[in-house]
Amino acid sequence: MAIKEDVYTRIFKIISYVIIIIASIACLLPFLLIISASLTSNESIIRDGYHFIPQQFSLEGYRTVFTFPEEVLRAYGVTIFTTVVGTTLGLFLMTMAGYVLARKDFKYRNAFSFYIYFTTLFGGGLVPWYIMLTKYLGLLDTYTVLIFPGLMTPFLIILMKNFIRSSMPEELFESAKIDGAGDFKIYYRIVLPLSTPGIATVGLFLALAYWNDWFSSSLFINDPHKYQLQYYLYNVINSMQFIAQMGAGTGVSLSNDMPTESTKMAMAIVVTGPILLLYPFIQRYFVKGLTIGAVKG
Amino acid sequence: MTFTKKRKQRMSILIAVMVIMALLAGCGGGSGNSAQKANGEDDKSQKVQLQFYMLGDAPKDLSTIEAEINKLAEKDLNATVKFNYTTWTDWDQKYKLLLSSGQPIDLIFTADWTQYQAYAKKGAFLPLDDLLPKASPALQKFVPQDMWDGVKIGGKIYTVPGTYKEYVTNGFVWREDLREKYNLPKPTDIKSYEAYMDGIRQHEPNMKTVSLNSDIKGNLHDRYTELVTKSVGALPYGIGIKYEKPTEVYKYWGSDEQKEELNTYKRWADKGFIPKNVLNVKDTLQDQVTSGKAASIFGDNPTRFNDMVIKLKASHPDWKLEYYPFPLTTGYATPVHPIHNGFAIPKSSPNPARALAFYEKLVTDKRYNLLTQYGIEGKNYEVKDGYYHMIGSGSSNGFSREGMNSWAWRNPEYMLFDSGFDRVKKIFAELDKIQKPDLFTGFAEDYTTYQAEKAALEQVEKQYLYPLQAGLIDNVDQGLQTFLQKANQAGLEKIQTEYTKQWEAYVKEKGIK
Repeated sequence: MAIKEDVYTRIFKIISYVIIIIASIACLLPFLLIISASLTSNESIIRDGYHFIPQQFSLEGYRTVFTFPEEVLRAYGVTIFTTVVGTTLGLFLMTMAGYVLARKDFKYRNAFSFYIYFTTLFGGGLVPWYIMLTKYLGLLDTYTVLIFPGLMTPFLIILMKNFIRSSMPEELFESAKIDGAGDFKIYYRIVLPLSTPGIATVGLFLALAYWNDWFSSSLFINDPHKYQLQYYLYNVINSMQFIAQMGAGTGVSLSNDMPTESTKMAMAIVVTGPILLLYPFIQRYFVKGLTIGAVKG
Repeated sequence: MTFTKKRKQRMSILIAVMVIMALLAGCGGGSGNSAQKANGEDDKSQKVQLQFYMLGDAPKDLSTIEAEINKLAEKDLNATVKFNYTTWTDWDQKYKLLLSSGQPIDLIFTADWTQYQAYAKKGAFLPLDDLLPKASPALQKFVPQDMWDGVKIGGKIYTVPGTYKEYVTNGFVWREDLREKYNLPKPTDIKSYEAYMDGIRQHEPNMKTVSLNSDIKGNLHDRYTELVTKSVGALPYGIGIKYEKPTEVYKYWGSDEQKEELNTYKRWADKGFIPKNVLNVKDTLQDQVTSGKAASIFGDNPTRFNDMVIKLKASHPDWKLEYYPFPLTTGYATPVHPIHNGFAIPKSSPNPARALAFYEKLVTDKRYNLLTQYGIEGKNYEVKDGYYHMIGSGSSNGFSREGMNSWAWRNPEYMLFDSGFDRVKKIFAELDKIQKPDLFTGFAEDYTTYQAEKAALEQVEKQYLYPLQAGLIDNVDQGLQTFLQKANQAGLEKIQTEYTKQWEAYVKEKGIK
């Protein structure tokens, strides 16, 4: 026999269900609106506004997007590439850094930690950063520039360092050393396997940062073939606004067919769709990594 | 055994990581190469790649056009060119970074709306006076002398102006079929326009009488001053300068003229012409008309009017659009100032002489010009009866007319037009009869001394003036008082005095009377 719930538990449950239902509706409705708008004819959107049920059904938006599907696919490819390579490399570098800074027998760890910490307080600003990457490193219009600046984040390094320090006692390293392991072996055989929860957390942060990145494309990429997915979408949606504001007074006549409202919405669906479908399958790993990281670290 | 195997595995992973890093590092492109000799002469025997920067989005077929151009340029100039685009999204930020970072750039688009005057004043571009006769004598001859004079800032030429004459003056756009149906007056001034809108309101209650969006200042105020107060241009900070008396600067804000303007908007809002949520509308003015939501535009330029007509012809052949240019009412039309379209050579350019030589080719050589304006003949376009015809549609053709945003190097001798453009040419011909020079655009404002006040004033305008201009404030006089008071607190006095001083100096320098 199940234990009878007392009144307070039941009230609590009711309240929490209501809140969750309202919250999920609030999340779902805008998305439904986008789906509906992507299936509405453009004229009808401008004339009647957005509706949850298309007033004038039309597949025009999707047709326009898929006239040149390679553009969207290429942007997808760039984002996937930068995310995978960036996350792998970044994790490698940050666990290394975290491990080294966590070792008490590393003489200059305080100096290095301070140096890393210092950059979170003072930055050079946008222009010097831009000059550094384009003029001195020559990274304009390369895939490197999409990956390189995000590889090491001070906050994540400190997180990793603290995680390693708190979960692995110094004695562990000592005993490994006595057994004949070198520094690389300790890193590879002991630190890495023991810090999987930390890696999961940091990896998640990194991957999300790369996936959502649009700013690097906006500043450093001139070749449309190298746009990241988010920037590609952002650009399509924004160019319309430019025309609205600037065009009339300047006489700039844009002969290219501009994306219409329904095309923009169709684009949003095409771009976000696959990740939405993928998310339920990988979500459990995310949750696991985060909770383990939270409890232990 | 197992030990070595593991070790091998580990080593291979390490090596793989290193290889990836090396690859990434190796991806960095080479930077600019200069063929300039020590004495400033251009060494043509050395091959260079020119960096060309344009605004907006690149056309899909850009790479094939670029390859064709490079074939020609390599033979003629021993140079290749790389066309770079900024996109429309963050172009102003990127433009600033391109010019301030000292990146090697050989040619960059300039216009009044990209703040050519301010950048030239700050020394971002290379003065071309000495370089032009040496590097591109044909180009120097091709552009008329008065245009060279027109783009001068501080007595020096910093940009190569485009020579195509066009008008971006505004005019009423309205639905002629509706006007005929209900027998309404033709809009030629504020009064007749209001009568037209009254009629539309009465007969088509579900239609917006005028197409508006959140850019109220641009939609209403700038059009109004062009038509009614005959201002020299869209002036900032409540400054008033009339075209007939360009040396007299007066305070527009708080004047009777402005009160009349604001009362007009108030009346329009009361009649329901200006919707209550106008500051939230994001649709373009043109879309609202072509979709049948709105019955008129307060002001648009001839080219864009023509675009709308062509669009309507395909979707709603039974609708008719008509146009009435403001200049016919005001009595004078100003063709675009030479500054409006141009290409400058930034200070950072490693090969200024070669860049000019290439630009000369773009403008004066028919092969270069047609290729960059219209694409490849037979693939992107064809010429029928002297008219331009796009092959396929805008979404299937990778290079539409002027798809490179090549407005600056249009050459009137080679230009091809769509047959629908005859309508615009007719309007232009009409305006040609009453043309007068644009006085305002050559003026370069220097706001370094009142930058803080300027920013504060912009906030005040947004908060207190826009609602007035949208007719949302019940008591216009009181609203205006509040706005003026806040504007004065923000430092209006200082800005106006300083601006007036600069304008007077400009008028004197150019000999405008």
